[in-house]
Amino acid sequence: MTRTLLPRRQFLQGCSAAIAAMAGAKLTNLAFAKQDSPSDTMVVVFLRGGWDALNVVPPLDGDDRGFYETARPDLKISNPLRLNDQFGLHPAMSPLYDLYQSGRAGVVHAVGLDFDTRSHFDAQEYIELGTPGSKSTASGWITRHLQATGISSILPVLSTAGQPTSLLNFVPTVSLNTPEDFSLWDNGLRDSHMNALRVLYAGDSLLHRAGTRTLDALNIVSPLSGGGYTPSNGADYNDDEFGRQMKTVAQMIKLEAGLRVATVDFGGWDTHEYENEGNGGYIAALLEQLAAGLANFYLDLDSGYTEKLSVVVVSEFGRRLVQNESRGTDHGHGSVMFALGGSVNGGQVFGNWPGLHNEQLYDHADLAVTTDYRQVLGELLTRRMNNSDIETVFPGFSGNYNPLGVFK
Amino acid sequence: MQNKRLTRRDFLKLGGALAATSVLAACAPDEATPQPDISQQAIPTNPLVTPEAQTPLPPVPMAILTLNRLTFGIRSGDVEAFNALGATDDERLQNFVTQQLNPDSLDDSEFENRYNKAGFETLHKSLEQLYADHVANNPYDSNNDSYWDWYSKPAHELADATLLRAAYSKKQLVEVLADFWHNHFNVYFWQDDGVPLLVSYNRDALRANMLGNFRQMLEAVAKHPSMLYYLNQNNSSDAGPNENYARELFELHTLGAENYLGVRDPNAVEKDSNGVAHGYVDNDVYEAARCLTGWRIDDNLGGWEEGVGISGNFLYYKPWHDRFNKLVLGQYIPADQEDLKDGHDLLDLLANHPGTARFIARKLCRRFISDVPSESIVQAAANTFYENRAAPDQLKRVMETILLSAEFKASWGGKVKRPFEAVISMIRALNSDSNRIPGGTHWMLGLMGQAIFERRSPDGYPDVREAWANSMSLLYRWNFAVGLAENWMNDDDTGFKINSDIYGQTPAEIRSASGLADYWIQRILNQAIAETSRAAIVAVMAQEYGPDETLPDDHVRYVLPAMVEVILMSPEFQWR
Repeated sequence: MTRTLLPRRQFLQGCSAAIAAMAGAKLTNLAFAKQDSPSDTMVVVFLRGGWDALNVVPPLDGDDRGFYETARPDLKISNPLRLNDQFGLHPAMSPLYDLYQSGRAGVVHAVGLDFDTRSHFDAQEYIELGTPGSKSTASGWITRHLQATGISSILPVLSTAGQPTSLLNFVPTVSLNTPEDFSLWDNGLRDSHMNALRVLYAGDSLLHRAGTRTLDALNIVSPLSGGGYTPSNGADYNDDEFGRQMKTVAQMIKLEAGLRVATVDFGGWDTHEYENEGNGGYIAALLEQLAAGLANFYLDLDSGYTEKLSVVVVSEFGRRLVQNESRGTDHGHGSVMFALGGSVNGGQVFGNWPGLHNEQLYDHADLAVTTDYRQVLGELLTRRMNNSDIETVFPGFSGNYNPLGVFK
Repeated sequence: MQNKRLTRRDFLKLGGALAATSVLAACAPDEATPQPDISQQAIPTNPLVTPEAQTPLPPVPMAILTLNRLTFGIRSGDVEAFNALGATDDERLQNFVTQQLNPDSLDDSEFENRYNKAGFETLHKSLEQLYADHVANNPYDSNNDSYWDWYSKPAHELADATLLRAAYSKKQLVEVLADFWHNHFNVYFWQDDGVPLLVSYNRDALRANMLGNFRQMLEAVAKHPSMLYYLNQNNSSDAGPNENYARELFELHTLGAENYLGVRDPNAVEKDSNGVAHGYVDNDVYEAARCLTGWRIDDNLGGWEEGVGISGNFLYYKPWHDRFNKLVLGQYIPADQEDLKDGHDLLDLLANHPGTARFIARKLCRRFISDVPSESIVQAAANTFYENRAAPDQLKRVMETILLSAEFKASWGGKVKRPFEAVISMIRALNSDSNRIPGGTHWMLGLMGQAIFERRSPDGYPDVREAWANSMSLLYRWNFAVGLAENWMNDDDTGFKINSDIYGQTPAEIRSASGLADYWIQRILNQAIAETSRAAIVAVMAQEYGPDETLPDDHVRYVLPAMVEVILMSPEFQWR
């Protein structure tokens, strides 16, 4: 007996417009103050583990080059790509170098969390909550941004890896790895299942809302789950986790379902040992994945989407200036951020370089933080996301807000 | 195929769900309860991320609460067996906890039969045998599949056996605790050169001590090659201490982030009457790393290190030890102590610190009571932990304090199943039959975000609902219900099977949609549910028939699994 022979009631939801209307209605669990307004799609790439900022963007010249080479006899980057007179770029980042030269990508150095911690978990939490020093915050910085601006779209927020802290307590987040994996398995009665699940998950608890959101997302994404996505402009994503995540975000942007924010996680940056060893170099392999993923993403979306696209790359901290005995680096402080997009004032290295002399280092050990990471994110919100309410997103910070000019 | 050169350094993948929040989220004090005795409260803890208010759920019978918390889910007959343990709820709970905390008294023949048929080849091996067979005599050959298969076989078998134990062992609390402690002292499956040794780590360092003494477990972990490899302790020497393990020893294994005071002058930290600092600062981490220099593995595979063999055991390597004095938590550790004493002193300081008692107690309460346990039960458990710090059954006593508490008895709705618990509880609910659970289960747990032993970062999987309430995680929980009930999980390549006979477990006299729904709702959820939810389940069963019509047999055979799947997918099934 095959299942398709069985007569069954039609639970189909009707045309896609009806689905969209229903899905939209389900997304109003949070009370939003304002009407939605056109803004960029903001993509936040979080590099988990604390990336080695001083080898990503090493000093090229002068005393600091000397301090750098002395501190890192086995790890120093000897052939960086030239960003300006002062700084270079790790050669494995070459896919991103073209975008830097064409003014689509910019760099902020000596940036980070201006708070005394070398704990991964503390630092990530502070950055993502947007309240350094306080963990009592009940929502993430992106959550507060979206609450301030309001949303009305079907698919406002996508996370490719669970729910990050930056989106804490933001209910309408959809998490999915790839559209291909995102379907409810069909035992021949899938419509019947979907209908029952709608009823079972109609409730107010966190679990109920997550279920309803999942059903909404299935309606939106299932047309894409057949696979066969062809990126634009010949973009050719690596078949690695980061490449797949960026491809998924590009697909969701092209759905034109009003994606406002996407968060992407990329781990493995905690390079305590043998940082430059292995096939081509351990950190070089990560940087190549990162740069290739970002460059292909930009190329793919350079089909009418990049003018409304802003990407930021952030990590919880940089690493110690001096290499350790395992030819790696331990947890440090100051880091480097990248910005990418059609409205980035690219081709520049922003920030105030503190120097690498012993007295210039944080705790006599690490690159100092001279630019609070919230300067960069605040500018992104103000200039690209139609949100000048810095105080709501980053409580207590607005008095210090002083844009660097990373975004147009 | 995993690339070894990559995976060995790829240990801190802080990806996935809420890496940061999860560790810390549930530490906020419950505002409704009085603050603990201030003398016990060494330092003010940061109020951490506050999970949203929980929807109160009506209380359930003690059997349902206890079985959901102390086991991986209710099997047919479990409720009746629990209720036969005494005349009152308190008596039944007391007796069940006593049984579970004395696991040797339990008849586990069903599991043992399945385990004996599972065909495991490597799980009986000692640490030295694992190292000799799978590492020392299995030379690294990255392009050779047979090298990789043999290298990873013990750890794969451990993961399979862990599923099998969780599903079928009568020693359920042991399994719940083994999961807790592996995540507390997390070691990632694919770490460094020690993948096969994970079998020994789980068995000899964790399971052997988890109802015993914390100080002993801490030392067993500190000296186990799995941990020494995972957190880079293996190459930490006086010339350049690697502080990775030392930092997580403070932050994750003992005092916890709640006792971290940041980058501060250690002399400025307040001390207790014994001169022990109330919390730790970065300097303590560096000094601890110095105490532990020379703690490594006897793994001289290259053959060039004098005084180092290839047993795979822990090795104290004196040439690497920093012999000078150290200052940890305000305590002076003199130069030139006898072998190992610097490290042992460090572990003593940490295991006997009141901050550690509270951190461990809070974490256990979060596991067994609520995402945000009240300060009263945390302090009670911490007191038991602290007072019994020298006792050989310290951790068993802590479990008794938690499980027999008033807070435990009133905690229904405090927890939502995580993917591992959801998957195993489905297998138990359907009484599914397997001697070796097919590998597709591991793959699906990965899509849900909780592949067994595959948390890359040292913090272990999160234990608060916020971390798991995302669409991908929920969707694959639903898909597992479909795969299990439809018998789609069987793996033809390995021959591993799991079979669920739903039709055969249904009384033949029940043939209406409403009757079948009521039977399986009671069987799986052990309680009634809201009428609207029941009606939705009945509608799945009925399809084009009326709810009370007698259904034809072919309809029942076809639709019954689909209806059972919906019950397994329901929010009610996800509560613990």
